[in-house]
Amino acid sequence: MPAPQTRPAYEAARFLGAAGLLMLALAGAETFLDPYKIQILNLIAINIILALSLNLIYGFTGMFSLGHAGFMAIGAYVCSLCVLTPAYKETMWILEPIIWPFSHMELGFFPAVIAGGICAALAGLLIALPVLRLGGDYLGIATLGFSEIIRVLITNATPITNGSLGIKGIPKFSTLWWNYGWLLFTLYFVVSLLRSNSGNVLKAIRDDQIAAKTMGINTFRQQALSFTVGAFFAGVGGALTACLISTIDPKMFSFLLTFNVLMIAVAGGLGSITGSVVAGIIITVLLEWLRIVEEEINLGFILIPGIPGMRMVIFSMALMLIIIFRREGIMGMRELAWDTPLRLWRRFAKTSAPPPPAKNFSIQEAETMPRSQAAIPGENEFILELRKAGMRFGGVTAVKDLNMSVKTGCIAGFIGPNGAGKTTVFNLISGFYKPTQGRILFQGADITGLPPHLVCKRGIARTFQNIRLFPTLSALQNVLVGFHVRQKSQWWMPGLQLPASRREYAAMREAAMRLLKRLGLDDEACEAAGSLPYGKQRRLEIARALATEPRFLLLDEPAAGMNPYETQDLMELIQDIRQDFNLTILLIEHDMKVVMGVCSNIWVLEYGICIADGPPEAIRNDPKVIEAYLGEEYMEYA
Amino acid sequence: MLEINDLHVYYGGIHAVKGISLSIPQGQIVTLIGANGAGKSSTVRAVAGLARNTRGSILLNKATILGRDPEEIVRAGIALSPEGRRILPHLTVEENLRLGAYARNDKPGITRDLEWVYSLFPRLRERLWQKGGTLSGGEQQMLAVGRALMSSPDLLMLDEPSLGLAPLLVREIFSIIRQINSQGKTVLLIEQNAFAALSISNYAYILETGKIALHGPGQELLHNPQVKEAYLGA
Amino acid sequence: MFDWLHSLYQTSALPGMNLSQLVQHGFNALTLGSLYGLIAIGYTMVYGILRLINFAHGDIFMLGAYFVFFTTVAFMPAGVACFFIAAAFYVIHGIVRGFRRRPPLPVLGLLLLFPVCGLYFTFLAPASFQLPWPLALITAIAAASFCGIVVDRIAYRPLRAAPRISALISAIGISFFIESLSVVLFTGLPRPVLQPDWLMTPMLLAEGSVRILPLSLVVPAITLVLVLGLLFIINRTKPGLAMRAISRDIETTRLMGVSVDKIIALTFALGSALAAASGIMWALRYPQIHPYMGITPGLKAFIAAVFGGIGSIHGAMIGGLILGAMEIIIIAVYPQLSGYRDAFAFTLLILILLFKPTGLMGAKLEDKI
Repeated sequence: MPAPQTRPAYEAARFLGAAGLLMLALAGAETFLDPYKIQILNLIAINIILALSLNLIYGFTGMFSLGHAGFMAIGAYVCSLCVLTPAYKETMWILEPIIWPFSHMELGFFPAVIAGGICAALAGLLIALPVLRLGGDYLGIATLGFSEIIRVLITNATPITNGSLGIKGIPKFSTLWWNYGWLLFTLYFVVSLLRSNSGNVLKAIRDDQIAAKTMGINTFRQQALSFTVGAFFAGVGGALTACLISTIDPKMFSFLLTFNVLMIAVAGGLGSITGSVVAGIIITVLLEWLRIVEEEINLGFILIPGIPGMRMVIFSMALMLIIIFRREGIMGMRELAWDTPLRLWRRFAKTSAPPPPAKNFSIQEAETMPRSQAAIPGENEFILELRKAGMRFGGVTAVKDLNMSVKTGCIAGFIGPNGAGKTTVFNLISGFYKPTQGRILFQGADITGLPPHLVCKRGIARTFQNIRLFPTLSALQNVLVGFHVRQKSQWWMPGLQLPASRREYAAMREAAMRLLKRLGLDDEACEAAGSLPYGKQRRLEIARALATEPRFLLLDEPAAGMNPYETQDLMELIQDIRQDFNLTILLIEHDMKVVMGVCSNIWVLEYGICIADGPPEAIRNDPKVIEAYLGEEYMEYA
Repeated sequence: MLEINDLHVYYGGIHAVKGISLSIPQGQIVTLIGANGAGKSSTVRAVAGLARNTRGSILLNKATILGRDPEEIVRAGIALSPEGRRILPHLTVEENLRLGAYARNDKPGITRDLEWVYSLFPRLRERLWQKGGTLSGGEQQMLAVGRALMSSPDLLMLDEPSLGLAPLLVREIFSIIRQINSQGKTVLLIEQNAFAALSISNYAYILETGKIALHGPGQELLHNPQVKEAYLGA
Repeated sequence: MFDWLHSLYQTSALPGMNLSQLVQHGFNALTLGSLYGLIAIGYTMVYGILRLINFAHGDIFMLGAYFVFFTTVAFMPAGVACFFIAAAFYVIHGIVRGFRRRPPLPVLGLLLLFPVCGLYFTFLAPASFQLPWPLALITAIAAASFCGIVVDRIAYRPLRAAPRISALISAIGISFFIESLSVVLFTGLPRPVLQPDWLMTPMLLAEGSVRILPLSLVVPAITLVLVLGLLFIINRTKPGLAMRAISRDIETTRLMGVSVDKIIALTFALGSALAAASGIMWALRYPQIHPYMGITPGLKAFIAAVFGGIGSIHGAMIGGLILGAMEIIIIAVYPQLSGYRDAFAFTLLILILLFKPTGLMGAKLEDKI
């Protein structure tokens, strides 16, 4: 689902209205509720902040991090050291005296929380740089290890942290107002970020890292940013916790704490902000409410003894049940919005009507989007040249001594039996493999060994043999991710809703809608890419590739799995987009009708060696090609 | 022996096989040929029990096998040598073959079949203790066929046994397929290498985009111009 | 440079160390390393097949120690013990030979004998009854492998087709579940473990200048026997062949007629048995058990498995030995660092992942484009 399109003024008013309501509610709570209930309200706010920060890292960017307790510990300790008075610190540190500068540091609450967040963010960046290369569960273990290291360091750094005794008597600065203020800021920042193209990019990385790289996204940089921002808010959550419960010690920040946060994020739905909010409320309340199982219950006629520890049994069982029976959590990846009831009504009223394209932005703005420049004739006769390119995997030679020059502006074909090395050549060109021999020139410049996102930036786009869309993103968002490589806004601008970035995003949406329309997908703009029918997914993949404004397009088996009519349409489409977008196209295809129909030049690969090249007619009658495809007649009895 | 009726297979969102029907009589070599993506592999995967999303019926000696687990189908007497050979590179040649006999418990029978496989492929005997991954492409293919034979199947399905092999080796593999067939095994052969496959098969089906486009005795199809068209386009 | 090394030497405990201490440290290192290695093997086997970090493995280790505690020190209805032995026998026999086939007579005999004994022990035997040591060991190990199979059945098997991360969260969930349930059942208080005297009477070697505990010899010896036994099962038996095949290619292995779920259950049973053995020996060596005792050794053993190269059994054992030796040696040489003990392993982990993610003996797993 793309973000609903509303005027900024309206959105701001709505946000302020909601904030006002919240303030009223808080004022009411402060006056009428007893301290225990207020404490629970505070815990809710902090838990939501923590769950949101984990959701940003894991739910939206797909990095499985188990280091939250570590970030919280950093935030809590830094903040506590800042807010305590020097005199108090002198008396508290009894094992070893506190050392300078910590002994003399004193800050107000707000700067102290910020300092806690920043230190956690720095630690996050520090850990992200080395370990983000690891995928999936290894990342989880590495971050878990990091969090344990932090705990050991805190326990042993007695002159700074007071060691295993912990810090007591931290002033209770975390009032309802501060906690909910921070919650509001966190929500505002995270929501704004995720609703912009930065959000699309993060989700794209989560869905498919390899495809994200071909879209020109520097996945490592984006992940590191997301991780750092998440760590910042985790640190803030830790700082607020410290000033709420007023006592911290290293044992508090064990894996159990991370588990609690993870539980909230998973139960709410990874990739759903409102899910985190709802689950934050439910689980905090539930955890408090579950205390009854640990106390005696008197039913009048019978006394049920409390079972100490039963709370955690029920809690962990709940997580198991959620993950086994409702893996997507309460909300899945959906969001509750202000106008959810309205939208449900609208869907009910006219089931298939697509949302109207943005009308409140002038076409002029949209035209400011950079467009592909027309090819300058004679600039380079050959757009792509492979010079003796080769690739070996271990002892196996996949491609050998391949020489190939693709003329600017043509449609070229690449055929050969299965396993001949065609996709390997695509991977060489698009930067996934570094050739073990030879060079690759694009528009006269050497691109050998460039990483995929830089190859994309140079103007090469590709599709994949087994479609690699971002399945949970809408068709429109898929295309928007493609625009990212040419966009000018920095990643943090949308978080603060800067006007320049808002304008650019609106213009990009406009251009993306046009592109979808061009490929006949405008009716499906808001549907999740993964739910589209197969033929449309193929076309969407082409649309997404076009969004990166390539000069050169690689299509890997575009007609695979299509019926004859779809194939016919596809052939026309390929010829049209070459014209309209001034492209050069190289395609791998097994359907000879397509290859013979659209290509002006064909290379035939067998065992990684080019056995023939030339125009279709020559290829069709080349005896070597016929043999490669149809084989020899079995001669035993001939 | 094997009857397939109106089989549909959906694979990763694609309707890969759109209602094909074919029958394989006892003791014959039947070939499915067709270009890449025509649905050949999906068909044999459905027979072997690997395809999950299927419709239609597959009967082995009148008993339905569609929807049963692969391990049951192996015990029922169907073996598949999968596309791309899929031998286990970290196991020795002998271990690969013994794995093929996993479903059996008759020790003397296994020993006898092991001998038989070694006599079919003398080169495997020479490389008994070598890891599967160190074999050449042709030897790996022989191992894959031998491994499928080790379950003592009534029906042997071979998915593209000539893939990526040099012409000389292709010839050798095909001559061994004939030999296996002459010893009483029914063979279902999947091939891209159309001419070679047609020349050894009793009957052949040509698949195009998930449907049977043409069928008939192998020798007859060998000289049918439509075959070339299906591959190279016209 | 030399000065720096010299001062490093001077600040260490090396100058004051005598032969006896050196030998003791050596045996301590060997013991700890063996224990880590045994746990690590379970991690590596499960990871090799399912690509899943079995977080509950450390808890199986803890359960092993508790089962022995309850069958030796405290009174436990021995019938429960017998039930576990019989159940584990039956399940493993079923996995190896197929459930439909009749188990051979000895197994049937056990199946019948144990519940009968169990009833006797539960209701008729004196309340202070204690299982003799060997039987207690077998019971505990059988019970733990049974728990391992149950963990796989309820927490992992329903998620085989789900994304790997879901299974990982489920693993964390079941691990917390076992721990918190143990707190409820066994209470969170640490309990002392009975150490048989003959294991704890120091032996004097080299005319009394070197003292070592028999336990320090028994642990590596038992470890060696267990690992050789495991290697025999994996390399010389039919289910072992299937396990090795599954770890590389599940689909092809199914085509060969292997029931994958049964082989995976067997993998969990074997891994859990080793973890339980390790837990029992751990409890003898460090005689205090509590429900959270499995977490740290479990994580460290996982690190050992990564260090050795995940998926490789030799690698896990070697990784465990190196990690154990490293911990003991660093602390022996620099006692002032003992507070940082738990951080060594994690630092090692991050370093390995950075510089040699495949570990010492692991093969590279690549994503396909």
